[in-house]
Amino acid sequence: MKTAVMYFTFAMLPLTAAATPESYTFDPHHTFVHFAIDHNDFSTIWGRFDKSSGKFTIDRQAQTGTLDFTVETSSVTTGDNLRGDRPRSRDEHLRSADFFNAAEFPRMYYKAAYVKFNGDVPAEIRGQLTLLGVTKPLTLTVDRWKCAPHPVMKRWICGGNAIGALKRTDFGMKWGVPVAGDEVKIVVTFEAFRD
Amino acid sequence: MKKTILGAIVAALPLAAAAQVESYTVDPIHSFSHFGVDHLGLAVIWGRFDKMSGKFTIDRAAKKAGVEVSIETASVTTGDNERGNRARTRDEHLRTADFFNVAEYPRMTYKSTNVKFSGDNPSEIEGQLTLLGVTKPVPLKIDRWTCKDHPLAKRPACGGNVSGILKRSDFGMKFGIPAMSDEIRLMINFEAFKDQ
Repeated sequence: MKTAVMYFTFAMLPLTAAATPESYTFDPHHTFVHFAIDHNDFSTIWGRFDKSSGKFTIDRQAQTGTLDFTVETSSVTTGDNLRGDRPRSRDEHLRSADFFNAAEFPRMYYKAAYVKFNGDVPAEIRGQLTLLGVTKPLTLTVDRWKCAPHPVMKRWICGGNAIGALKRTDFGMKWGVPVAGDEVKIVVTFEAFRD
Repeated sequence: MKKTILGAIVAALPLAAAAQVESYTVDPIHSFSHFGVDHLGLAVIWGRFDKMSGKFTIDRAAKKAGVEVSIETASVTTGDNERGNRARTRDEHLRTADFFNVAEYPRMTYKSTNVKFSGDNPSEIEGQLTLLGVTKPVPLKIDRWTCKDHPLAKRPACGGNVSGILKRSDFGMKFGIPAMSDEIRLMINFEAFKDQ
């Protein structure tokens, strides 16, 4: 019995030693969530959240990863921020209860516990987005990924882009559909320093 | 002699009638110029100019068009606008002489020299960008183009997306190359109402 336990412990060791999860914190100056909607079938209007924060872990040997990300909803900007003779700008409207309801839901969250790898590189993040208090699955594709020592900071850094799409009505955000499209493209540009 | 002139005018008439040049004014709240810069091969950082104005003309029968756009350089934003404990934000830095030098060059302009059509729609723009006082050709591709009555305003409008690539060093903007790429991706979305 003892032998069996010993054997079992030894058998586990190489795996345990190889499992080296690294933890990274997103750099808020180089990490932005962008989104795009179709407007009236005329053009694609892009928006950006200027404030976000989060961490991820990656274990290249075990090919696992986790992601925990928070976006400040009131930091949304689309470039329309001057009222002129209108009662409100588009950015003000986006913060209202018609869209992100920033007063009631100041943050949206994205959490993922499953990351699919393509070789050594994370390729797909399967997580849950919580927006307006509604939690739904959202898969993001990592379409660019690089890790290297930062040339100035001399610390290990990873960066890239992740893209995805969702239907905003799934989260109860229905205002203006279909003139302002239901389908929302998401482009996240990110950089993160190793802790 | 009189007959000859009359004949010439009559002969010219159908052409003149067919040449229906329409003029459009860019809708500033649905028209934005975005640019993407590669940062250390890590992330692509996107910026946006919040203030742009412009006009274009289109003659569908003759398949001719022209466009003229002016962008306020100080309206550049990249989302990094709070200093924290730094001397300046990235957006402030972009407005300095290292980049857009907005004090000396408050505007950049783009003027088309030729617009190519694909079928009934304009598809490629040849034009000149003036940035930091330097004028160079920057070709643009029209990726998306729609004209119809605006459903709310009940007026004819056109909209679409335009893309292009330039090298900022061509215009003398060299700061940070190559950590911040020389190559800049352009992505412009626009809507424009027909002038009445």
